[in-house]
Amino acid sequence: MHVYENLGSDVRHPPVPAPVSASVHAPSRRSLRGLDGFNFFIANIQTGFGPFIAVYLTAQAWTQVDIGFVLTLSGIVALAAQVPAGILVDTAKHKRTLAAISAAAIALSALMLAAWPILPFVLGAEILHGLASCLMGPAIAAISLGLVASHEIGERLGRNARYASAGNGIAAILMGACGRLFSNRAVFVLTALLAIPALIALFRIRSQEIDPVRARGGQPGGSERHSPLHGIADNRPLLVFGAGLILFSLANTPMLPLVGGIMTMRSSHWATVLIAACIVVPQIFVAILSPWVGRRSETWGRRPLLILGFAVLPIRGVLFALFASPYLLVVVQILDGISAAVLGVMLPLVVADVTRGTGRYNAALGTVGTAAAVGASVSTTLAGYVNDRLGSTVAFLSLAGVALLGVGLLLLFMPETRPAER
Amino acid sequence: MRAVRHAVIVATAVFAGWLVVADGGHGAPRAEAENAVPAGTPATVLTKDKAQAILGKPVTSTKGEAMGRIVDVIVDKAGTTRAAIIDFGGFLGVGSRQIAVDWAALHFSPAGQPERITLDLTRDQLKSAPQYEKGKPVVVLGASGNTQPLAEGEYPLDH
Repeated sequence: MHVYENLGSDVRHPPVPAPVSASVHAPSRRSLRGLDGFNFFIANIQTGFGPFIAVYLTAQAWTQVDIGFVLTLSGIVALAAQVPAGILVDTAKHKRTLAAISAAAIALSALMLAAWPILPFVLGAEILHGLASCLMGPAIAAISLGLVASHEIGERLGRNARYASAGNGIAAILMGACGRLFSNRAVFVLTALLAIPALIALFRIRSQEIDPVRARGGQPGGSERHSPLHGIADNRPLLVFGAGLILFSLANTPMLPLVGGIMTMRSSHWATVLIAACIVVPQIFVAILSPWVGRRSETWGRRPLLILGFAVLPIRGVLFALFASPYLLVVVQILDGISAAVLGVMLPLVVADVTRGTGRYNAALGTVGTAAAVGASVSTTLAGYVNDRLGSTVAFLSLAGVALLGVGLLLLFMPETRPAER
Repeated sequence: MRAVRHAVIVATAVFAGWLVVADGGHGAPRAEAENAVPAGTPATVLTKDKAQAILGKPVTSTKGEAMGRIVDVIVDKAGTTRAAIIDFGGFLGVGSRQIAVDWAALHFSPAGQPERITLDLTRDQLKSAPQYEKGKPVVVLGASGNTQPLAEGEYPLDH
């Protein structure tokens, strides 16, 4: 891995008077490997949640109304908790402990789901999971930011994305197999057990190597006594990015479920395998491309890559509308991998860029994440409605149109956010 | 320590007494008799080998293909069950569709296979059926082609 090339003698980045807690500037291999492993296992854990819960609850004789209620309510809670969670991660001193608590909470919610799937229990488990996930994303980003030097953050985030997508892809196959061979309940037990290697990996990260000031995007010696949302509401690049993310999320989120429904309709025997391929193929490409995206973001800058990631989405929508063959649709999912790789690295990176010095990194991450989640929740219903009324071609083309709006917004209003001191 | 030992013995005695007196949960009619049900309410007890709950249960085709799970039942105004809604297809919850199938095409506990539910349709027949949507006319897939339409102007009971 090239990540170790720039450590040590680095004349472009003059040493900053380090706070007492950060005694080393270069993170150890052990810490970096620990972060890799943590990303991997947390992604494994999170794969078990999501649409699979509806399958599990259906098998527990839940009515569709109850399932919808629980999922909607927990979605709202997770949405509302993103910004407070981000603020919490900014102000917390021990980022590792926060990540560990989140991981344990997610494992606990998986056990609750496996043990006793009655309404109040499942509601509690889902809310717990939502809250813990809101903490987890910023905590991982904060640890990454605090561990590596600021000009290496792009590459580090690329590595995070690589291990996360590897975790997602492998877990999708593993849990699908587990659900077939054992039971749906076993999937949640497996999910809970995966917290153990996650925590082992987390505690290999040496906490003294995480610079807490850098971890929230502050400058050492800078004053950070403003209100928690100070660096956010007046931060124009952040707002533009957030708006673009809403549009992206509006267009992107319903595409996989729509394609999944089409697979089921057009190919009965291979449908399950093809849908699995639709989920795993993008993950493979994210795993391959993310570190490259991270490195290029340092040399090319952020804007070209952002435009690339956003522009791929309308193309994908149009191709979905054009092709009928399920096998071709799987190939088009490669484009999903490209945009997911770009967004997965660029999101935390651009937010880090525009909040540098404000100390509000995680709160900003929470804000932007809320925006994306709002887009996601609205769009799946809307797209399903359009699909039923007007057919899948119109649905995909309208999603492509929304994605095109996002590209336009970025082209016109998004500045280059790479730090100028290069 | 003596006080603790006394307390433990008393607690155990109370617990044992409770176990003896309380019913383990068997014999619902006996419990009902203790709960003052108004006299004359008829009740029947169905044991597990005679009846089963069906929501969430998996359905297979006669060839053994997995068809999904029953998620709802459609009943007409006369009270006759007309269709079952099956959650069909998908992987890890992605891509599943809800499809209404004729009740007559379902067979519960076919000979020699208790707890099994079979459907006289194949996956190919089900895959491109229109989805079931609440409030809209239900398209019921029939196996033998003998599905009876409802009388003019009648729709299945809505939720």
